[in-house]
Amino acid sequence: MERSFKEQVAKLRLGDGETFHGEGILAVTKALLQSGVSYVGGYQGAPVSHLMDVLADAREVLDELGVHFEACANEAGAAALLGASINYPLRGAATWKSVVGTNVASDALSNLSSAGVKGGVLVIVGEDYGEGASIIQERSHSFAMKSQMWLLDPRPDLPTIVRLVEQGFELSEASNTPVMLELRIRACHVHGRFQCKDNRRPAHSRRDPLVQPDFSYERIALPPSTYVQEKHKVEVRWPAAQKFIRRHKLNEFFDGDLRDIGIILQGGMYNTVVRALRHLGLADDFGATRVPLYVLNVTYPLVPEELTGFCATKRAVLVVEEGQPAHIEEAINAILRRADIDRTHVVGKDLLPLAGEYTAEVVLGGIGRFLQLVMPDGIDLEGVAQTLARVEGAKARAAELLGAPVPTRPPGFCVGCPERPVFTALKLMEKELGGFHISSDIGCHTFSTLPPFNLGNTVLGYGLSLAAAAGVGPNMAKRVVTVMGDGGFWHNGLTTGVANALFRGDDGVLVIMQNGYTSATGTQNIPSSPGIERGIAIESALRGLGVRWLERVGNYQVSAVADALRRAMTTPEGGLKVIIADGECMLERQRRERPARALRLARGERTVRTRFGIDEDVCTGDRSCIRLSGCPSLTVKDNPDPLRTEPVTTVDAGCVGCGLCGEAAHAASLCPSFFHAEVIQNPAWRDRFVDRLRRGVVALLAREAKA
Amino acid sequence: MSGAPITILIAALGGEGGGVLAEWLVEAASTAGYPVQSTSIPGVSQRTGATTYYLEIHPVKFADLGGRQPVLALVPCADGVDVVVASELVEAGRALQNGYVTGRTTLIASTHRVYAVQEKMTAADQRYDSDKILAAARTLAKRAILTDFSAAARESGALINAVLFGALCGAGVLPLSREHCEAAMRKTAKGAEANLRGFAAGLALAVGKTATAPAAKAKRRPPRVERIRREFPPALHELLELAAARLADYQDEAYAALYLDRVRAVLAVDREAGGEADGFALTRETARLLALWMSYEDVIRVADLKSRPSRLERVRREVGAQPGQPVVVVDYLKPGLEEACSLPSAWARRLRAWARKRGRVPAFPLKLKSSGIMGYLALRALAALKPLRRRSSRYAEEQALMERWLGALKRLGFASLDRDLALEIARCAALVRGYGETHGKGRQALLQILEGLLENEAAAAKGADYLKSELRQARSRILGAEKGCTTMSPAAPATVKPLVFMKRPGKG
Repeated sequence: MERSFKEQVAKLRLGDGETFHGEGILAVTKALLQSGVSYVGGYQGAPVSHLMDVLADAREVLDELGVHFEACANEAGAAALLGASINYPLRGAATWKSVVGTNVASDALSNLSSAGVKGGVLVIVGEDYGEGASIIQERSHSFAMKSQMWLLDPRPDLPTIVRLVEQGFELSEASNTPVMLELRIRACHVHGRFQCKDNRRPAHSRRDPLVQPDFSYERIALPPSTYVQEKHKVEVRWPAAQKFIRRHKLNEFFDGDLRDIGIILQGGMYNTVVRALRHLGLADDFGATRVPLYVLNVTYPLVPEELTGFCATKRAVLVVEEGQPAHIEEAINAILRRADIDRTHVVGKDLLPLAGEYTAEVVLGGIGRFLQLVMPDGIDLEGVAQTLARVEGAKARAAELLGAPVPTRPPGFCVGCPERPVFTALKLMEKELGGFHISSDIGCHTFSTLPPFNLGNTVLGYGLSLAAAAGVGPNMAKRVVTVMGDGGFWHNGLTTGVANALFRGDDGVLVIMQNGYTSATGTQNIPSSPGIERGIAIESALRGLGVRWLERVGNYQVSAVADALRRAMTTPEGGLKVIIADGECMLERQRRERPARALRLARGERTVRTRFGIDEDVCTGDRSCIRLSGCPSLTVKDNPDPLRTEPVTTVDAGCVGCGLCGEAAHAASLCPSFFHAEVIQNPAWRDRFVDRLRRGVVALLAREAKA
Repeated sequence: MSGAPITILIAALGGEGGGVLAEWLVEAASTAGYPVQSTSIPGVSQRTGATTYYLEIHPVKFADLGGRQPVLALVPCADGVDVVVASELVEAGRALQNGYVTGRTTLIASTHRVYAVQEKMTAADQRYDSDKILAAARTLAKRAILTDFSAAARESGALINAVLFGALCGAGVLPLSREHCEAAMRKTAKGAEANLRGFAAGLALAVGKTATAPAAKAKRRPPRVERIRREFPPALHELLELAAARLADYQDEAYAALYLDRVRAVLAVDREAGGEADGFALTRETARLLALWMSYEDVIRVADLKSRPSRLERVRREVGAQPGQPVVVVDYLKPGLEEACSLPSAWARRLRAWARKRGRVPAFPLKLKSSGIMGYLALRALAALKPLRRRSSRYAEEQALMERWLGALKRLGFASLDRDLALEIARCAALVRGYGETHGKGRQALLQILEGLLENEAAAAKGADYLKSELRQARSRILGAEKGCTTMSPAAPATVKPLVFMKRPGKG
């Protein structure tokens, strides 16, 4: 795994009254243990990976409590795990990145929420929306609504998040309904503190197992149970949830003196809204506000009594709801209409943008325009206008001075990444054979779609690239190349892709990037990770399924990869042709090798460090090497040659000597500028002797050449 | 008690330790007793992308708050950031662009550049103009501490985050003492000593000087100057001396003389067209490009450059080899037909015929250990073929094309006396460069320009303005095509389209 979490694991042991300092997602992890969970599962992905990583390292703590932890095959598996709470009073939690994880999980989630739960169930979704997100932009909210799972969106401070985790289980049990806890990226990574409670040992667990299985046809997702379940949802569970939310004050009201207006907001937007009000002179540093706020820590279901109570006396309310469709705003309108409250204007997506992240400036602008629209007595509207102008002007002023937008810097392959050379080879193949369709998958390798490669025509989901090639393949003159990571292979690709392609007899080329981990999510282990117990090799899985055309290539051998691709693309043999592109994730490799190398050096043992370089007087700066690589350490610098104006290409100190530069120079017949240099640290006497001899002879020859 | 929170934005690149810097700040502020909150959007930032960390420190200690909790924001707001720390210049530019640097902001930014893919992948120089960022930073920020913190990091053996932490402490914008900061760094045991050195360096940079001027480059002045001084105006002396020395080194004195002859002919055009007014810009550019072209990189030249005694020293410096550490250098060479053509032409003709018959150009990937005795000998042997270069077919082809290009320049230059046109023609020489395919394509492009425009009477008859615009377009087309890929562009703004109701065809 990417990091060791020893320090964080220690925090999971904190007891009553002690103060926890740390990240939001770790506070959730601690809160799960304080809530007496029997089991936790999930699938890793930013921004909730740390929950998984820490629990994976926390075996001892979990053993003491009897908590079962499971790193699931995918989100569907994690959601299915929650089935344990359908029949039994076991509290359980699962986590994943949303909305994509929720998509994968939704089959099990539908069945889970239809059957209902006896033990409390909490699904912690990392809402990957807005700046820094790496996925499609959709809301988890819609899933909560369609399956009728309750959705928590707590204020992003640690005490509130922890309280909502604990109350979330109670809500779940009080209403027999699974509950989702939505945390935005920054809330997952927010660093704060809260007062701990002791961890709770679950009543039933690995240590105190259940004896009697429970059967009830009412819990099965078959008719007529499903009809009964749906009725139970709306007639029993829903009102029970609303009652619980009201009674335990899960939502919060903050009063203010401007009584005839108000703001209704998702809990997660609270800090941004309060800061915006502060900028506008309507709140202080401690959240005391002049505009009344109704903070929805539970965004689904809404509680009509609370809403009508808040709105009845107001001329206008502003709804701050991030994302679209505007489920909350629409529901508020419907609730007020049903309650015959006509005098309260509901303003929301008409002043705030429909789509996109609600950043500080967006919220400030929305609230400012709301104030300008409703003109409450006793506020400085002139000041509001000035603040808005100042904030909006800041960007414009900078843009004018800069002249052109600064270059974007999306994430890309790391220095020495084993996947880069495969795309170098694909690029060469594209040139040799003409363009072909590439079906891409989710993973680090999706960076191939960015410059300089721009390889990959579609991305349809994790492990779905081969399935996505099934439609386009028969309609293309040339064979389609499918790229899939080993993470995607085990997540979904083995069955949905490979097994079915073999079963149907599809013709195509599949390149499996075997880097050993789910690298993009933080190098977690998968069944084929190197050196794990009960490992399963991808190659044997493929052979077992009946793949006949199978080649395995070392990624850094660009020519060998290109040759394998050429064979796969041009062989008359039909069926699926699989190339396993083998190269361990460089981050993980460096994490292992760097300390080992440091130790060898400290012990005075002979150590060879390899780096690539470019002769600056040989390089003519056409940069075709960069277009075939994009390596961060392959870059440009001012040309030392006074006659040349173009920058010269150079290899910077970040180079790990992976070998791609040299291989690409050969495979693409680039230029003779590249060299690799081996620096021998702690040289043995033989090294020193050979070196002295060589240098002596070379010096002699050089002198003669000069003379 | 009140007091607005101190808002801090750290802009960094994945892997530079921006997250650790945020942790240090949280640790130092917590120890000092201040409420503090940090957030980040790491996501996949570790994979080299741009990333930011945002912190707020409430300037009143917990002890003095009477149990009240400040509400700290998770996102920065334009015109709402007190301190911006940027580990690289364009990241500082991004903070500027987002409106985070205003009259309340202290900006601490490293002035070195780490180029983005879109800046370095094209054949044409697409690097962002650093001066724009520096100027905007100085104009917009309350105070701008701009210096190359990465150099300080290199010197102290620390990561840049430690140096920036020192600068942040030294800038005096946070209520944190040096002791608090250093204690926070000591808590993370790994590399604490190097980090503390980096911290001290950064602190000194922030307190003391705020800019380091790059050292002026020393330029060699070779003795071969008499003819140049006699025949050319002073504005050209320095350039021509460099160029002539390069060509004497490339081939011999006669070759340098040939070069000066060619430049003199261009100077005549320039003079006639009134070039004295702009310091003979036409001659200057032509002379520069001609020198580069005449010292085209054939196998003899490459072998010569790679076997110079100074080269191994440069390599040692570049790869950071310490004294006493042997360095083994292996060169990646792939001699093919092109390289063979650098050899005497009779051999090349036979080779070419053979290659044509086979339909494929043979090439031999070689890994030559040039720091070894045999490898070095091989390079020296090739370099020693220098006297035979004039008999190579490559030499003949290059010189012939050069003459055609110069001929067109002189002919059309004299005819039109339009210096801009002549300059456009001169710049076409920049197309011929590089090795292998790049070279082949550039050469082909120049041939097309010669045949289609410059040596084509019908085209030339359309006038200087026509030729200029055609040449400009052709050049940018060729250099643009070398990009080979599409770059990301921001989505075009949506435009409002009117709804038009129409009758159904065939009705009414």
